[in-house]
Amino acid sequence: MEMNLGGLAELFLYSLSMWWVIIPAVFVGILMGAIPGFAAHNTIIMLLPLTLAVDVDVALTFMVALYCASHLGGGIPAILLNIPGTGGAAATTLDGYPMAQQGKASKALALSFVASIVAGLITSGVTLFMLQYLSQVGFYIRSVEMVVVMLFGLALIAAIAAKDMIKGLIAGSLGLMLGAMGADHIYATPRGTFGFLELFDGVPLVPALIGLFAISEALIMLETRTIAATGSARVIPTWGETFREILGAFKHWFLMLWTSLLGLVIGVMPGAGASIAAFVAYQQARVFSKTPEKFGTGHEQGVVAPEAANNGVTTGTLVPLLAIGVPGGSTAAVMMVVLQFHGVPFGPRLFVQDPILAYGVIMSMFVAYVFMLVTLFPLTRYLSRITVVANYYMAPMIVAFTLVGAFVPRNFTADLTIAVAFGIIGYVARKTGYNVAAILIGVILGPLLERSFLLSMRISGGDITVFFSSTIGNILWVLLAATLLASPSITLLRKMRRMGDIY
Amino acid sequence: MSDDKSPDRKQVGSDLIIPVAGICYAIYYVSSVWSFPAEAQRSGFFLAGLLVSLCLIFFIRIGVQMARGRVDWEFTALLGPEQGRWRRLGFVALIGAYLLTFQALGFTLATFAFLFIGSILAGLTSVRRAASFAAIAAISGWLFFIVLLGTRFPLGPFEALVAQVVALWK
Repeated sequence: MEMNLGGLAELFLYSLSMWWVIIPAVFVGILMGAIPGFAAHNTIIMLLPLTLAVDVDVALTFMVALYCASHLGGGIPAILLNIPGTGGAAATTLDGYPMAQQGKASKALALSFVASIVAGLITSGVTLFMLQYLSQVGFYIRSVEMVVVMLFGLALIAAIAAKDMIKGLIAGSLGLMLGAMGADHIYATPRGTFGFLELFDGVPLVPALIGLFAISEALIMLETRTIAATGSARVIPTWGETFREILGAFKHWFLMLWTSLLGLVIGVMPGAGASIAAFVAYQQARVFSKTPEKFGTGHEQGVVAPEAANNGVTTGTLVPLLAIGVPGGSTAAVMMVVLQFHGVPFGPRLFVQDPILAYGVIMSMFVAYVFMLVTLFPLTRYLSRITVVANYYMAPMIVAFTLVGAFVPRNFTADLTIAVAFGIIGYVARKTGYNVAAILIGVILGPLLERSFLLSMRISGGDITVFFSSTIGNILWVLLAATLLASPSITLLRKMRRMGDIY
Repeated sequence: MSDDKSPDRKQVGSDLIIPVAGICYAIYYVSSVWSFPAEAQRSGFFLAGLLVSLCLIFFIRIGVQMARGRVDWEFTALLGPEQGRWRRLGFVALIGAYLLTFQALGFTLATFAFLFIGSILAGLTSVRRAASFAAIAAISGWLFFIVLLGTRFPLGPFEALVAQVVALWK
């Protein structure tokens, strides 16, 4: 379905009518984003009972608004405490914190908010017009290509998101293996279920993601007394100063424009998250800056570039989910679970069966940024007052209320045990450097990969060369190989350069 | 920590838990599809083969590093800092107890007990604050999840008491 301007305007008005969902989601998102280590996906997981209980469009609007707002909130502790609230805000600390140390905390916050909101508006606007073309991609992707796309997505996560590629790949393939648990697609005979009837339908996704992300996070939180250090400077400017600081931030509009588009492009690639985009944008902004030497000392551009990029990513990560049904990141993976629970199809089928929902996701994002524009500016003054939350409250709360979320979808007490088991897997994985997002995406993709694999094999009569029979598939194989080879090659080149073998 | 540890040396040991567990599961998975027709075995063999191959590459890498003397064996990193380790293990045991008593105590009481003991194990020193926090959070959870959203959590003595009071009121 093509979405014309009239349709988009109608959708915009419909999204505006969801203000009662968007405004609370924006506030919750900012607060949760501002709590270090507590990302959007964890918040959504905590609020899963709510998102599963309401209609799918309300749930999606809530999740999308919360997701965008959490990226904006992530910059707050990065600037005030030198602790990024989300991974995407890690690059913001480089210049944001020195600005705060120089007594320019509210200016840095204004830059961060304006960059985030402008980037969100630009990228969601661009995506709304591009989505109809991007959704066509799905029509060219058959079961053969889907196998390669899924392996490619996992390889990207392993190569970019994980610090150690081989560990990232092991995490992803372990996820695939766990995802293949349950009755087989042809003979409906159970495989790898340890004899548990509750695993007959495969690994339940909600308990799995609650365990991998929330419970493991809570266990790690117990190692420190508080999430963030206390005693940060709290400089409260006047209203006039706040307004001038906000207006002043708009002088960086061109930097916001191109770094947000850079974030969008990086976000579209599955696995390349906000943290990668923010660092790439920071680096590129420094390369093209007239004053590169000021970066790292409290330079305004050093706050604008990463914040614009990490908000560009928020839109980008939803594109592969909507267009081909492959989540672009952790939060998109969580959203996918909620959509699956509601029986919403993905990829081209979504655009045929429920185009309003597909476009509505991006429009909700656009509207959420509009609301942030209205509601957040006056709050620039006060957000530096966000207090440090004690872990002795947070960790038990996270465990108790996320386990509630694990119970809700099927009302099985066994799902609580499954969530805790995945929590232990997640804890071990985090402690030993295996990427939990790769495990989760593997668990989600496992059954899909298996279905596509079996379908391809059936069509080809068991001929394995079918996976190398299409042009798109072969291009993806080459990209997959390049992704896997790029990281070791760069490491080898650096080593040779260090040893003086090459210049 | 010994003084002879150089920054180039890698701490391995706990790193092996995930690959070893993965291989064990892959073997179990393959054994569970062993008697299946060939068509149904393929995907299992493919995934298990992928996981085992990657784990073998990882083991070879560690083996090479070990041969070069760049490896330190350790498992303690998994348990985190030594300070408060027993409290954290207690917290994990508490999660187990929560799972066991959730059905019998019902949502509200089990959540109250978990939050109360959990916050103390996590470092909250004031028993009164822990009790108030647990009571407020558990009752808010009951109001939100059971009363407002109507989720079908196991009902225990607290929920039964409230139901009786409401019935009397009517």
